[in-house]
Amino acid sequence: MGFGIWDLGFGMLSESARASSAAEARFRIAGGAAVARQIKVVALDPASDRLVSALGREDWRAVSFFTSADAAAGGRLIPNVAPGDLVVMVAAVGAAVPAAALVGRACSDRRVPTATFVVRPPSASDAALSKTLAQVRPWSLMLLILSDPTYVEDILRSFR
Amino acid sequence: MLKKEQNDLLAQTGPGTPMGRLFRSYWIPALLPEELPANDCPPVRVKLLSERLIAFRDTDGRLGLIDEFCAHRGISLWFGRNEECGLRCPYHGWKFDVSGQCVDMPNEPEHSAFAGKVKLKSYPLVERGGVLWTYMGAPEQQPPLPEWEFAMVPAAHSFMSKRHQECNWLQSLEGGIDSSHVSFLHRGDLKTDPLFRDAPGNQYNLSDMRPVFEVVESPGGLHIGARRNAEGGRYYWRITQWVMPSFTMIAPRGGHSVHGHFWIPIDDENCWTWSFDYHPTRPLTGAEVAAMQAGKGIHARVIPGTYRPVANKDNDYLMDRAAQRAGTTYSGIEGFAMQDQSLQESMGPIIDRTKETLVSTDSGIIMARQRLLRAAGALVDRGVTPPGVDPVHQRIRSAAVVLPADQPFNEGARDAMIAQPGVAPATV
Repeated sequence: MGFGIWDLGFGMLSESARASSAAEARFRIAGGAAVARQIKVVALDPASDRLVSALGREDWRAVSFFTSADAAAGGRLIPNVAPGDLVVMVAAVGAAVPAAALVGRACSDRRVPTATFVVRPPSASDAALSKTLAQVRPWSLMLLILSDPTYVEDILRSFR
Repeated sequence: MLKKEQNDLLAQTGPGTPMGRLFRSYWIPALLPEELPANDCPPVRVKLLSERLIAFRDTDGRLGLIDEFCAHRGISLWFGRNEECGLRCPYHGWKFDVSGQCVDMPNEPEHSAFAGKVKLKSYPLVERGGVLWTYMGAPEQQPPLPEWEFAMVPAAHSFMSKRHQECNWLQSLEGGIDSSHVSFLHRGDLKTDPLFRDAPGNQYNLSDMRPVFEVVESPGGLHIGARRNAEGGRYYWRITQWVMPSFTMIAPRGGHSVHGHFWIPIDDENCWTWSFDYHPTRPLTGAEVAAMQAGKGIHARVIPGTYRPVANKDNDYLMDRAAQRAGTTYSGIEGFAMQDQSLQESMGPIIDRTKETLVSTDSGIIMARQRLLRAAGALVDRGVTPPGVDPVHQRIRSAAVVLPADQPFNEGARDAMIAQPGVAPATV
């Protein structure tokens, strides 16, 4: 353990006590770490297109959005999606989402992490949810089941 | 990351703040019964949600939690005389009962009725399940008493401790719902701690460092499932419960007791970490209680006469670089509790969340923040009672289960996530 002048007398602070004080917080490096993350957001079904398309019209930095039509035309989508640092798939409960396997396999091959947001309206049944989960679970490192589609934007904004 | 105004909103719990209003919707742990052990015992200073209070047990055993300072000249009633059903200020003899009502004013003319017109702010203080609970919200909105399972089982089935944590409540809570750090920070202790070791499920934690997470909204907060590979193509699930605002319950391990935390703001730069262990169907053994008292498991050794951990920021948490190098501990700090607390305090009094870089495994934390923000907004804007107030939301359990690969954890473990008296926890 190193010793500084604060260790030399009564009431002096340890390194940990001094370093974690509010006063020392002033000297933290301003601004966050340099992060050049590319996030790709893919709607897996037509029901999710409206949500993803609306998000795509907002102001984002380094986030790209793709519709289910893009996903269905997988051959053209993969070169755009797979170079991402995080791929987010968005699915509606009850939908058939064969594109999940297409995107997920490409991400798995390239070691790109995947997160899938499944939007569940209050009326959706457990059976419908299970049907969708069974399709996306093998290809999702993180799976969120959301009761409200507005969570999607809030969560995406959390990824700087 | 969060915007600065979001970070401030979540971190600040003083009177009049949105999160302060949210916390004031719940019964929250205030003291351990041992802090007020007998009638007319010394009063105890209490700071909760940035309010300075004094707690005392009067001559008849009634519990009081009132404004710390005498209504007359602002003397701290910690110096007071706890006698004859009230706390008497030693300066001029004003005396207050457990409701904060002034009942004697001996420096006023005899037969003056003025004492009856002076009342200090007070909050209810109720003992249940090894905790003295308080409710600091509007009296007309006081909810039913808490029904967390640890507080409802026989006393011999449960153990509770608390420790002072020198940072904001939220960064402490976020550690409790961040399942992905266990395989790193705590990996040494899974093999050695008497309250964790030898559980069959530990092998899954240690052999699979990259769990897959599923986060599902629950009525009171979130179910956070961490999935690891098990034999025969099945999955080992560890399901953590978070109930608003700051209750977490960690998945059990083997036949060990079940445990979890509350993080309760003292002020915006300090909180109490409350740690409970209980078993739904059997008393804790003498060895288990001894281990908990010795700071094993999720508990910490504290400096006698205080609730400050023995390993704290003033002694660099007794950092042991040799143990870190040898892998006995991953961080060099001993014990689950202080491994977490040391790192959470190192963030500073309130972490600046505008600078963090979250990844997909932080989705539980992200969702918890969003639910808190929305609940606080709904409460302030529309008076909506937040999740977790209803005792139904509190009758929950964490679980550790092995399920077929195609079965969602919230279906396969549906019954296991509900507290059922007399039913053993689902554990591996």
